[in-house]
Amino acid sequence: MNSAAGSISQVSRAASASARFVLLLLRARAVLVLILLLVLFSALAPEFFTANNLSILTKHVAITALLAIGMTFVVLTGGIDLSVGSIAGLSGMAAGYLLTQGIPFNSVVHYPPVAMVVLISICLCLVVGALNGWLVTRAGVAPFIATLGTLYIARGAALLISNGKTFPDLGGTVRRGSTGFPAFGQSFLLHVPTPVWMMMVIFAIAWVVAEKMPLGRHVYAIGGNQRAARLAGIRVQQVTLTTYLFSSLCAGLVGLIIASQLEAAHPATGESFELNAIAAVVLGGTSLMGGRGSITGSLIGAFVIGVLADGMVMLGISEFWQIVIKGVVIVLAVAVDQLQSRLQARLVPFLAQSDQGVAR
Amino acid sequence: MKRCHALFTSAALGAAFCACCGCHRAEHRARLIAIIVPSQDNPYFKAEADAAAARAEELGYRVRVDAHDDDAYRQDNLVDAALASNAAAIILDNAGSDASIAAVRRATRAGIAVFLIDREIDATGVAKAQIISDNNQGARLVAAAFARSVGPKGDYAELLGRESDTNAQIRTRGFHAVLDQFPQLKLVAAQSANWSQQEAFQKTETMLEAHGEIAGIIAGNDTMALGAAAAVKSAGLTRIAITGFDGSPDAIDAIRGGQLQATSLQPAVLISRLAVDEADLYLRTGSTDRPEKQIVPCDLVTKGNADNYRNFEKIR
Repeated sequence: MNSAAGSISQVSRAASASARFVLLLLRARAVLVLILLLVLFSALAPEFFTANNLSILTKHVAITALLAIGMTFVVLTGGIDLSVGSIAGLSGMAAGYLLTQGIPFNSVVHYPPVAMVVLISICLCLVVGALNGWLVTRAGVAPFIATLGTLYIARGAALLISNGKTFPDLGGTVRRGSTGFPAFGQSFLLHVPTPVWMMMVIFAIAWVVAEKMPLGRHVYAIGGNQRAARLAGIRVQQVTLTTYLFSSLCAGLVGLIIASQLEAAHPATGESFELNAIAAVVLGGTSLMGGRGSITGSLIGAFVIGVLADGMVMLGISEFWQIVIKGVVIVLAVAVDQLQSRLQARLVPFLAQSDQGVAR
Repeated sequence: MKRCHALFTSAALGAAFCACCGCHRAEHRARLIAIIVPSQDNPYFKAEADAAAARAEELGYRVRVDAHDDDAYRQDNLVDAALASNAAAIILDNAGSDASIAAVRRATRAGIAVFLIDREIDATGVAKAQIISDNNQGARLVAAAFARSVGPKGDYAELLGRESDTNAQIRTRGFHAVLDQFPQLKLVAAQSANWSQQEAFQKTETMLEAHGEIAGIIAGNDTMALGAAAAVKSAGLTRIAITGFDGSPDAIDAIRGGQLQATSLQPAVLISRLAVDEADLYLRTGSTDRPEKQIVPCDLVTKGNADNYRNFEKIR
C-alpha cells in the first residue's frame, strides 16, 4: 500500500514537474521568441548584431514600447486605447505650431522656449486622454468606441492645426530663443539615445506602479472584476481615468520624439501606431479581457515587433512578406496565450497537489 | 502541449526560411544600394524601384527595396536601417519635401550618398542629386494636346491632385499657362479629387450633372483621368476629351482604346537608371559630374505613338 501510494505520488510529481516546465516555457514565450529572432537575424545579417545597429534598433523600439507601456494599464482595466497614434500626431503638430508660428499675444508673437513647447503639447494630449477617460467612466461609452471617436477627433485636430501641411524646420532660431527641439529625440546621453532613456524611465515608473503600488493592484482588480473592485472600495472611475491619462502622456511623448527626429511635424504621423502598440501588449501576454498581464511583457512584446521589423528590412525581405510574417507572429502569440490559459486550468490539480507536497 | 510549443518554434523558423528565400543572394563583397520608394503596390513606384534595382544589380551592387508608404517616420527608420547595413548609397523617392530633409542629412553626414528621384526636397547641398521629371513642361505638353482635342472653344472641367502636393500645383499652373491663352475655352468647374480614381468618378458625375456642355476634362494624373472616363461612360456621353498625367500602363491602354486622348509620360525608368548610374560614378570617382538638380522632360503620349511606350519607359 505504502509503496503504491509512493509511486503514484512519484508519477504525479514527475508529471507536475514537466507541466511546470511547459508552463514556464509558455509564460516565457515572448522572451524565447525574442532570443530566437536575435540569434536568427545575427546569423543571417552580419551587420545586425553591431553596437551601432542595436542602438538604432532600440531607438525604434522605444516608440512602440512607450505606446505599449501606456496601453498596458488601459488594457489591464479591460479597456483599449485606439487613439494613441492620433494623439502622437497631435502632439507633434502642436509642437510644430508653437515652434514655427508662436503664440500671438497683445499683437506680438511670442515664441515659447522648447521646455514650454513640450509641456504645452503634452498637456494638450492629456486633454484628449481626459476626454477618453471621461467618455469611458462617466458617459458610459465602450472604450473601443470612445477611443475610436477620439482617434478621429485628434487626427482631425492635427490636420486643422496646419490645414494638412507639414511644419518644417523645427530647429528653431537663436533670435526666437526656440532652439534645441531636435535634441529632444536625437541627442545621446552616455551613448544611449534620449528616446531610449525616456522608454527606460517610463518603464521604471510603470513597473513600480504596477507591481509595488496600490494603484497597480487596483488596475488589475478592475480588469479582473469591475463590480467586485467597486464593492471592495476601489475608486474605479478615478483609476480608469488615470490609465487613459497615462496612455495619452506616453503617446504625447512619442509624437514629440518623432517630430524632433524628423525636425518636421506632419499631421499624418502615427497612423496605425495603435495597432503596433496593441500587438506588443498582446505579444507580451496581457489579456485583452483585462486583469492579466504585465508591463515587462509589453516591453518585451515591443522588442519582438521592433526586432522583427528592423531585421526583416535588413535582410531585404519583400515588404509584402514582412506584413504577412508580422500578422502570423501576432496571431500565433494569441493562440499560444489561449493554450497557456487552458493548460493552466487543466494543470491546477497537479500543481496544487505538488504544492501540497512541497508544503509538507 | 510540447508539440504546440514546437509548432510555434517551427513557425518562427518558417518565417526565417521565407526570409532566406526573400533576400537577395548575399554576395558579401558587393556593396549595398538601398532603394526606398513610396510604395510597391503602385505601378509607377514599382516601375521606378524595379528599374533602379535592375540597373544596380547589373552594375554589381547588392540591392534592397523598401517602401515608406508616404510616412516620413517610416522613411526615417528605413534610412536608419540603410545606415546600419553600411549601404554605399541610397536611391530615395522621398516622403515629403520638408519632412525628409533631416533623414537625408543624417545619411549624408554618415557618409552615405543619397540620390533623390521623382520628388525634390526643400534643401540643396544635402543630397548628391535630385533627379525629377519636368512637371511644368509635361503639363504644358498635355494641355496643348487637350486644347487640340477640345477645339478652340468650349467648356471644360479640371480635376486637381491633392492640394498640399507641390506637383499638383505645378501641373495646374502648367495647364493654365497654355489653356488660358484660348479665350473661348472656359473653365466651368475645378475640383480636387486627391489623385484618387474613385473620388474622380464621383466628382465628375456631379460636374457632368451641373454643367451639361462640358467638352473636355483635364486631370492632374492618370488615375483621376480614368475615373473621369468611367463617369463619362456611365453617363452615356461621348465626345468628351479627357487627358491625364503620368503615362501609366492603364492610361496608355485607355488612349489606345479612345477613352483618353493624351497623357504626359513621366520617364520614371529613365530617372531611376540615371540615379543609379550617377551613384555608381560617384562611388567610383567621388563626383557625379552633374549639377545636383536635374530635370528630365516628359513625353506626350497620344493614340499615334501609344505603342512606343511601356511601363513608364520609351521602348522605341
